[in-house]
Amino acid sequence: METERSKKILSEKEVIAKISDGMTLAFGEPAPMGFIRQIIRNKIRDLTVIASGMSLDMLIAGGCVKKVISYYAGGGFGVAVAPSFRRACESGELDVWECEEGILTTGLEAAGKALPYLPWRGGVGTSLPKINKDLKLIKDPIEGQVLLAVPAIKPDMAFLHAAESDAYGNVQHYEGPGWLDLFLYRAAKATIVQVEKIVSNEDVRANPWATTIAGADGIVRMPYGAHPFYSRGYYVQDTSFLRSYIDVAKDQGEQLEDFLTRYFFSPISHEEYLEEVGIKRLLSLYEY
Amino acid sequence: MNCTPQELMAIFLSRELKDGEQLQVGVALPVPEAAVRLAHIMHGPNMELIFLGTRMNVHQLESLPLPAFGWDRRVVRWAESYSDRGHRFDQVKDWNKRVFFIGGIQVDPMGNTNLIGIGENHKRLKFRGPGSVGTPTLSTHVGRYYIVLNQHSARTLVEKCDFISSVGWSSGGADARKKLGIPGGGPKYCVTPLCVMDFTEEEKTMRLKSLHPGVTCEEVELNTGFSLVIPNSVPTTTPPTEEELDVLRTRVDKTGILRGT
Repeated sequence: METERSKKILSEKEVIAKISDGMTLAFGEPAPMGFIRQIIRNKIRDLTVIASGMSLDMLIAGGCVKKVISYYAGGGFGVAVAPSFRRACESGELDVWECEEGILTTGLEAAGKALPYLPWRGGVGTSLPKINKDLKLIKDPIEGQVLLAVPAIKPDMAFLHAAESDAYGNVQHYEGPGWLDLFLYRAAKATIVQVEKIVSNEDVRANPWATTIAGADGIVRMPYGAHPFYSRGYYVQDTSFLRSYIDVAKDQGEQLEDFLTRYFFSPISHEEYLEEVGIKRLLSLYEY
Repeated sequence: MNCTPQELMAIFLSRELKDGEQLQVGVALPVPEAAVRLAHIMHGPNMELIFLGTRMNVHQLESLPLPAFGWDRRVVRWAESYSDRGHRFDQVKDWNKRVFFIGGIQVDPMGNTNLIGIGENHKRLKFRGPGSVGTPTLSTHVGRYYIVLNQHSARTLVEKCDFISSVGWSSGGADARKKLGIPGGGPKYCVTPLCVMDFTEEEKTMRLKSLHPGVTCEEVELNTGFSLVIPNSVPTTTPPTEEELDVLRTRVDKTGILRGT
């Protein structure tokens, strides 16, 4: 009898084939930009996303987002609020499921624990339950305290970026996972991780304590996949690239279209994107 | 005055912080970032600094530069532990030992703050703010927090916030938070480039506590969108000592972020 353990390695195309319009997708920290670029390039539409900051802004600029489970959409570089997020909110075209970090993680934990909701206190007395009707004020049955019932937040898929994985989806973040990654993994129906490097199963077994995601559903090898964001142990954030994005996004005009065409729509693969960014720029992003 | 208002704000806040306290600062708040570092050097060898999901004590370092943009392992390389391995909010029961700093696009007389947006209709805001980050949970649980504003204007200090993302003293009264079942100590001061404000003991409404050197009561009232409680005599915010300013400029804010350079 010949049997073989299944490998989890996927191509970019195989990942895109799993995504359809209208899904709920969650993005970890640092943002898995390789996946985000493919989602924008393939014009996936009407997504509900769990994302923040400038990667969220790029998904909105790319026209992919209908609703955002949102706790933070700051800008940086002299802009207090992510520009595309701001425009889409002020024009009324974006539906915002207003929350905050504690409420978000509580909803994700409820999903992971297969519960309809979990209670949370942060947000009691604020406008959050008024502007997000899914958050219900309840009286707890044990002590009678007033708390927020946060419904389970159930992403169809979580997309993460990490340093390494073996071919079987044993993921090891370098110096720990991003703050939200494990919440997203536990809550999502499936988790796909882009990694800087695929390592041997022996490498993983040498330090099982370092395994942060025990069995991802898909792995894509994507060196420099978090660019223009950082990847701990590999490269730092490309600040001037992000600054140039903010500069063109501020006006929400033709320059933004040009930027999106150049970096999101034209390159058909991650390799082509890296070619467009250029080896000199990528190699300048060393940590020390 | 021999320093900028932002430097004075940082120095004022640094004196507020006691040795042994846990000090948490979020993103995009250079004044509190400088304040906790200054306090750590000047009088806080046992302080714990909580930045970007890390906990550190860096008292022994010669200088504590302000972090660069975003989360970078070079910024957090002094961390002694991370709170980010999927358990950031699992120990809020101990946050009464923690001090926090909060900004706002609107602040009302009871110290309620708004990071959500401006407008009547949440589905179509006139100005969309960045969002609440983790401030609702932090302001609910921390022992005390400070409202820190980059500018003192009647557009920011308003009679009523369009939305409340963090509860200060709610609709007022010393028992307001208790009635809501919110355990933390609430906002202590609101610190701006013009003055320091505290909250009256019974009503918990904002009161002028001290004016920064050269600032008048009239100037503060003119730039405040609600009627501020003004005591008969208002002291001047204690100016920085030479040592404070020297440490701030040479060991904390070396690039002059608070000097606007």
